[in-house]
Amino acid sequence: MANVIIFAGGFGSGKSELVLNYAIRKREQSDRVVLADLDLVNPYFVSRDIRKTLENMDIRVVAPSGELSFGDVPNIPAEIIGLLRQENDMIIDLAGDEVGTLVLGYLSRYIKDRYYEFYMVINPYRPFAQDLESVTELKQLLEGAAHIPFTGIVSNPNLLGETTPEIIRAGHEKVRGYAQEMNLPIRLLTVESKFHDALVNQYGEILLGINLYLKPDWM
Amino acid sequence: MPKVLMKGNEALAEGAIIAGCRGFFGYPITPSSEIAEYMARKLPKLNGVFVQAESELAAINMVYGGASTGQRVMTASSGPGISLKQEGISFIAEAELPCLIVNISRGGPGLGGIQPAQSDYFQATRGGGHGDYRTMVLAPSSVQEMMDFAVTGFELADKYRSPVMIMAEGTLGQMMEPIIMREPVTKLPEKPWAVTGCRGRKPNIINTLHLSAEYLEERNHHLQNKYTSMALNEKRAESFQTEDAELVVVAFGLMARIVKKAVMEARQQGVKVGMIRPITLWPFPDEAIRQAVNSAKRFLAVEISMGQMIEDIRLAVAGRAPVEFYGRIGITPNPEEIYQEIMRIAQREGY
Repeated sequence: MANVIIFAGGFGSGKSELVLNYAIRKREQSDRVVLADLDLVNPYFVSRDIRKTLENMDIRVVAPSGELSFGDVPNIPAEIIGLLRQENDMIIDLAGDEVGTLVLGYLSRYIKDRYYEFYMVINPYRPFAQDLESVTELKQLLEGAAHIPFTGIVSNPNLLGETTPEIIRAGHEKVRGYAQEMNLPIRLLTVESKFHDALVNQYGEILLGINLYLKPDWM
Repeated sequence: MPKVLMKGNEALAEGAIIAGCRGFFGYPITPSSEIAEYMARKLPKLNGVFVQAESELAAINMVYGGASTGQRVMTASSGPGISLKQEGISFIAEAELPCLIVNISRGGPGLGGIQPAQSDYFQATRGGGHGDYRTMVLAPSSVQEMMDFAVTGFELADKYRSPVMIMAEGTLGQMMEPIIMREPVTKLPEKPWAVTGCRGRKPNIINTLHLSAEYLEERNHHLQNKYTSMALNEKRAESFQTEDAELVVVAFGLMARIVKKAVMEARQQGVKVGMIRPITLWPFPDEAIRQAVNSAKRFLAVEISMGQMIEDIRLAVAGRAPVEFYGRIGITPNPEEIYQEIMRIAQREGY
């Protein structure tokens, strides 16, 4: 099984929430989970916000720390390369779009030595994920910046608080169409935990229920 | 039309495109940059123009140039960038060029931080530039309104031949909500004053230098009449449960949504509290405040600043009730915090 999982995608495709949940889930099977938050682009609503909670669970968090966490400057945590050369289960969260994926281009030489998966996260309700042409264009840009090709897709169809099982089904259908055209397998279908039971019979093991950690409850 | 999940900044940019904006001139700054990024991706495909200028000064003067041709054009920035654009905004106001200026605001002064704030209220409503001018300022409070107000902003700008500003906290620019897309605006107003090539007609001249004292004064009277008319016709506010309110909380932007939650909570505890949300920050909706003074014994301004709008509330209240203040900066207060503040005042005053 892959021990480096990288998530990339368009801005606001839902990577950060997914990565948090994925790391917490992974922790149930592994005691060497490392979550690398490499969102160098935009520090609003990113996974380093819940660093303490993760560290209490013994998940190692690699992210700009202290004052630099709101630095508004690209800041690659120095320990990332060392950690990529060690035995661990690493989960990498990248910022959105090709600019956010650039950092992976730099790290790709170390990643190629590991057994990795590189997932493209797609929420078909986002503006630049509404048609195959835009999604294909984004895929090419992301792979160009990353220097490695995608190995799978994460389908994340949602309208936040207005999501319903029907919205998930219709959105996922769209993502299946993209996946087929791009010749990539769908590895995960992520839905808010409350929808899990209603959908598990239909989608089985690709379904991952997630909890939202980053959104303040008044939003 | 199915809903789309959009960031506030994206919704604003798309709203501008829907309004017919085909020119964007800017210089990136967090937390506003997605507006420029969105325009950079979309405008070239729509036969539009996107220029990342070498500076904010250049960008705002490109807006001056673009607006002179009668096109709907805009710029977007955050506090420090808007400061740099003040000179250009003053020129645009005097040249009477309709355009949209967006401030996705962060905490200052100086370079400050990139966290959300409303501390550019003075800058927006008083106008940081020189001379007697006013800028209409709209303050959206949801991602849907980011889109809707972009359209309204361009309409108002054309109606008055005046720059219009949208000011929203950084959080509103960054957060995502499902929204309903609007139909594109297809009919744009005629602009006979625009510089479009003068074959067969007298040249139009866009200029702000008036060396004759008499003409300068005439120009200023002309502008003032326009601002008076804006103040008469364009004040907008939302009043929420103010009819019997003893305490009225005043808040704008995203902050108003948070306050509304706290007001509803306090109402459940039997406290007679209401809320007024100024939608136009200039012209300030003073009538809404004055109306509330009839029943309200006290006002509370809640701002993500050290207290700026409170001055306009005090001017509207005109000494008929005390106005208190609650504010944070860089940190958006949550509903619980505001609820506690309302309850503290209510208990102290016996409301």
